[in-house]
Amino acid sequence: MTIDKVLWAPLVFAFLCLVPCPKRITRLVFMAGAALSAVGAWFFVFAPDRPECVFAFGKNLMMDALSAVFVLLITSVGVLSAAYAGGYIFGKEDAVLSPAKIRRYAFFFHLFLFTMLLTVLSNNLGIMWIAIEGTTLASAFLVNVDDKRSSIEAAWKYLILCSVGIALALFGIILVYYSAIAQAAAGEGELLLDWTFLLSRAGQLDPRVLRLAFIFILVGYGTKAGLAPFHSWLPDAHSQAPAPVSALLSGVLLSCATLGILRFHILTSAATGSSFSGTLLVFFGVLSVAVSVPFILEQKDYKRLLAYSSVEHMGLAAVGLGFGGALGIYGALLHIVNHAFTKSLLFFSSGHLLYLFQTKEIEKVRGVFRKRALLGIVFFLGALAIAGMPPFSIFVSEFLILAAGFSAKKFVACALLLILLSLVFIGFLKHASQMTLGVPENPAVLKKSLLMDSVLVAGLIVILVTGFYVPGPFQQLLQQASRVAGGGPIS
Amino acid sequence: MTDSIAVSLTHFLGMMLVIASFWMLASPQIGACIRAYATHSFFLAAITAVIASTNHVEHLMVSAVLTLVLKTIVIPHVFFRIILRLGIRKEIESYINIPFSLLLAVLLVFVSFYVTREGKILNPVSLGEFIPLAVSTVFFGMLMMTTRKKAISQVLGLLLIENGLFLMGVTMTFGMPLLVEIGIFFDVLVAGLIMGIFVFKIRGAFESINVDDMTALKG
Repeated sequence: MTIDKVLWAPLVFAFLCLVPCPKRITRLVFMAGAALSAVGAWFFVFAPDRPECVFAFGKNLMMDALSAVFVLLITSVGVLSAAYAGGYIFGKEDAVLSPAKIRRYAFFFHLFLFTMLLTVLSNNLGIMWIAIEGTTLASAFLVNVDDKRSSIEAAWKYLILCSVGIALALFGIILVYYSAIAQAAAGEGELLLDWTFLLSRAGQLDPRVLRLAFIFILVGYGTKAGLAPFHSWLPDAHSQAPAPVSALLSGVLLSCATLGILRFHILTSAATGSSFSGTLLVFFGVLSVAVSVPFILEQKDYKRLLAYSSVEHMGLAAVGLGFGGALGIYGALLHIVNHAFTKSLLFFSSGHLLYLFQTKEIEKVRGVFRKRALLGIVFFLGALAIAGMPPFSIFVSEFLILAAGFSAKKFVACALLLILLSLVFIGFLKHASQMTLGVPENPAVLKKSLLMDSVLVAGLIVILVTGFYVPGPFQQLLQQASRVAGGGPIS
Repeated sequence: MTDSIAVSLTHFLGMMLVIASFWMLASPQIGACIRAYATHSFFLAAITAVIASTNHVEHLMVSAVLTLVLKTIVIPHVFFRIILRLGIRKEIESYINIPFSLLLAVLLVFVSFYVTREGKILNPVSLGEFIPLAVSTVFFGMLMMTTRKKAISQVLGLLLIENGLFLMGVTMTFGMPLLVEIGIFFDVLVAGLIMGIFVFKIRGAFESINVDDMTALKG
């Protein structure tokens, strides 16, 4: 198993899904593809003799511990999402989704996974940019599968806003390249955009140019990562996309863009030797949490509620990266992982809710516990987990991030965060109890899908277990990753 | 080609580039707007070619040819097909009138010369005079995206921003490495096509392509 194979699997299966054949077979190919990439990636990452850093394709691609964490994240959420889509998209018996449309959906789904894997595996910053723009292009069609007015509007905003954002990021990359070219020796032309090369030469890069570049990168990739005030596409796209796609968008796409910011953050801190980029990250992170709070408290649409909570959690991850230090980086990475699993679980259950109640309005959803006990339990526990309730994993990572803030003496930011987080908690508790308790209006009319239900159960087990116990190899990997990000070992 | 001729040629081409972007902002009809974009890209390709030949940078020649083929021929051609299929002949509706947007554009040119003046951090070796032009092209693109109502002119604005960034790359670093440059071209082409498809979808669902009809999603 090498880097190329991790990348080839989703690309090959994307085209296999396009082959016209009965829906049953397309569905099998679709789900087998996701499972195969996941299994392959797990074996590759956890191979006992895996070196710290693997290069491929003339050093343009690379896998260090940091990318390994994200590869695991993409493929694991990918396989859950594909299994859920196997019931949600393929199980639907309506006329809106023709077989050709479903094949196209499967194609773009795998293409989307491929572009995200390429993003996290690229060492060449230019290729990373191309891949991030690719994620937008591949997922635009996934956002509007049903061709409704509202989903077209959401997809259009997503395309335009993210493309403008990413264009600004390109300017940042040109600036980095410019500062590298000024110091280059002969014969290094091919390496000048490689992250590992730039990092080894960080001392010679012009700090003023890198600071300017980081601002553009933060705005550009920040748009994609859903940092306020560039997040306006996010609630629209997340709420209009079908549930499995929302789970991927929120769980892993935002995380991939955050990895893009992190790479430049590491580079900028090394080159400027100051906390300039870290301070910016803390500022925009706290701002994102603050912006999301009123929308969470007064939300009328449960999918938008989850979307704004993604803005909040990406903000928290940015704050953790900004605080830095061993605790901050480790906490932020753990937070990204925990958020990916918890939020995708919640988006899966939003798919169930939409099935059951045929509406996205919180007002009209009542008595989920009585209607479908399993769904009620998953949604309620998931909401508690995402709000940061103690036994669940998100609490652990939020705690680590705040502890990092206190030990870095950022008291104002921490105090603000504590107040905002308790407001978020109130908001989630209010909405979740409103939706799950009470007596439902109509009796349940639903054919059960074993596949979709088992995805919910699997997700619930993951977030429950990781709150108490992070498996040894994975913890090692996370610590390696935070060392790559300049965090150093945790005592 | 002697150096002094090359220098005055690039100056002339730079001037034409600015005129083309003003033409784009000044044209009330989408057809004229697309033609102006094609002209803009043509001069961009010419500038790139001249820079490539005077500085002997071979891979920049490939970029110049790609710009010529994709941005002056393929993309404008696709866009003409789209407006023909949609049957748009009307004037572009704008939130501000054209004389005012031209006034803003002149202002933006001054701003871009001011922010990139000498003594600031960007001092490329030989081609400094193009940097304010690149920055102002990016500004023009943003002006177009924010003031025009038709979905298709937003895409044109985005492409104008991309042209500005390309010019920035060419003047500051003789362009990106070829592999990256080709990837960016591919992305721009695919983005243009996908947005074109979405313009059709918007037309089908909303019976117009005015973006201010799309206000359902809030809060």
